[in-house]
Amino acid sequence: MTVLLGDPVLEELRQILGPEHVLTGKADRLNRARVPAPFPVHRWAERMPDLVVLPASTEEVAEVLRLANSLRIPVVPRDGGTGLTDGAVPLRGGIVVDVKRINQIKEIDLDNRTCTVGTGINALKLNEVIARHGLIYPDDPASYPCSLVGGRIGTSGWSLIGSRYGHTRDLVLSFDHVLPTGRVIHVGDGIGRKITKSSSGYQLKHLFMGHQGTLGIATEATLKLFPKPEAELSPFWAFEDYDSAYRAVGALARAGVATFAGAVLFDEWKVDYLRRDDEAYIPQPSSVKALVCAAMYGYEDEVRAGGRRLLRIARSLGARYLGDEISEGDWAARHDRYATPLHGRTRSGQVVPMSWHCEDASINYTNLPAVRLAWHEIADRLRRESDVFDDWGMFAYTNGATGADYLTEIDIGIWEQRLDDAAWEAWVRAKRDLAAVTLAHGGSISACHGSCREGEVDLVPVELGGGYDVMLDIKRAIDPNNIMNPGKYLLDQAYAEKS
Amino acid sequence: MKYRYQEEMSPPPPQRVTDVAITRFEHVFEVEPGLMTDHVTQQTFPNWDTLRLVRSRADHLAWMHRHFADKVISGEELLHDLDE
Ligand SMILES: Cc1cc2nc3c(=O)[nH]c(=O)nc-3n(C[C@H](O)[C@H](O)[C@H](O)COP(=O)(O)OP(=O)(O)OC[C@H]3O[C@@H](n4cnc5c(N)ncnc54)[C@H](O)[C@@H]3O)c2cc1C
Repeated sequence: MTVLLGDPVLEELRQILGPEHVLTGKADRLNRARVPAPFPVHRWAERMPDLVVLPASTEEVAEVLRLANSLRIPVVPRDGGTGLTDGAVPLRGGIVVDVKRINQIKEIDLDNRTCTVGTGINALKLNEVIARHGLIYPDDPASYPCSLVGGRIGTSGWSLIGSRYGHTRDLVLSFDHVLPTGRVIHVGDGIGRKITKSSSGYQLKHLFMGHQGTLGIATEATLKLFPKPEAELSPFWAFEDYDSAYRAVGALARAGVATFAGAVLFDEWKVDYLRRDDEAYIPQPSSVKALVCAAMYGYEDEVRAGGRRLLRIARSLGARYLGDEISEGDWAARHDRYATPLHGRTRSGQVVPMSWHCEDASINYTNLPAVRLAWHEIADRLRRESDVFDDWGMFAYTNGATGADYLTEIDIGIWEQRLDDAAWEAWVRAKRDLAAVTLAHGGSISACHGSCREGEVDLVPVELGGGYDVMLDIKRAIDPNNIMNPGKYLLDQAYAEKS
Repeated sequence: MKYRYQEEMSPPPPQRVTDVAITRFEHVFEVEPGLMTDHVTQQTFPNWDTLRLVRSRADHLAWMHRHFADKVISGEELLHDLDE
């Protein structure tokens, strides 16, 4: 589709939304054609939408989808645009539906402790309002200031403090969802907006969460709230070797302390990066090889009691506390990583501007050490091949209070200005190899970002086994004309089969 | 209020922290300037601006803490309790 001024589609959209909410300018479209993850900048033009619309309500979204469906125009939903698997980047042009105007707080229910919001709002803005009632919405990605509720639903995101409060899928109770045909449904547990658990019917909430905009658009969500914690504790510890840090993070996660909100394990490569390149520069002696941080939330007396226990456990396993300044500074900085100007190093050590890419996976605790070595080998190969890549080390975050599986990510710096087809190909190959290592160790390719990007997406059918065929059937049934985010998750196959 | 250009534009002499980092002001670390010559070059900053940036970063982090809890508990204090 190439839209021309005076085009009837454009006219109809202007009628539905008002002319000022249909954007055709190049800058408006360019701004919505990429996400912060490394991007084939040299091929940017291939990923431009034809136009951008800014609806203000569920009804307007429904009308846009009805029109797009009748004319077979691709539609890509976009919230904060911080997704790291290019979910919000159009592959086939068409219409980007930017939902940022649907950002009202419609209800705060103090008795049932929920609130209902437009999906264009984010947790930071919401928390500024509900803090006045002593409440918090604890969905806490490292992109906290800029990812929005709709994008959290679109990716089924992962929260830094999810061990204490749950992740996006637990915190979003229900939502209004516009199907690709323009029909509006309400999905949640049962019919209720504020029910946290039901066993009626199929569990559709999970189906419409994490689909990366391939099954429609969430417009209004009801969220679970918690009392705003009185106190936080965020200790950060150094270790002389990875194995001790690994044992410590497992012990902290398994300790069963109720206020425990999460812990993170940093490996040797990450510590090197923190010493040389990260803005959170940590001037540690060379004997420090690995780091662990933890976070706890709750009433002051319970956080103090639990904190003493965690500090004792860490100390008994060889940890050295890094002091309040580093501990508190790093934990707060974990919520604003979006703002960090990034740079890496050439092999000669020169500083270069680099974008950040993190490849995320869910890995069982027992497999973390093996995956770490295999992943760094892949990063090392990339770095040997070209100065475009840098290894920024690995994190592993606890995924639940049990510590069964961990969100594991390797961070790779990419010098985007130097990307060309050869470097991009090397990158895509590396992503495929990283995903293969995950599957070989019984993991999932993605714990939070999704896996619909070139490279890793090839392995989604392998990961899901027969489940992938069910995914194709569902896509065909819900989106008969393949208008929603076409090209993602290899779902075009659903239509090839039909013909 | 006095303003002397030379005073404002001459940072204290660098002290080496590691082979990739130096420091000029307490708790403010900079990449070793020799590593910023080919692709990214350093800018000249007045001293007050460097310190302002560092302070606003600290303000920002304190604001971020307040989003999540009313109070931050000191780990050093809890460790001290353990030793008693
Ligand atoms: C610095 C940084 C740190 C990050 N840290 C984390 C982290 O800790 N945890 C984590 O989970 N993620 C993290 N991310 C990734 C990203 O923030 C999440 O994937 C987030 O959920 C995306 O939200 P968004 O509003 O930016 O969505 P977008 O990027 O706009 O969209 C993401 C996907 O959802 C679809 N979508 C958007 N809106 C809707 C809607 N209303 N209905 C249906 N589908 C929709 C889009 O089509 C796209 O496929 C981080 C990203 C950055 C840049």
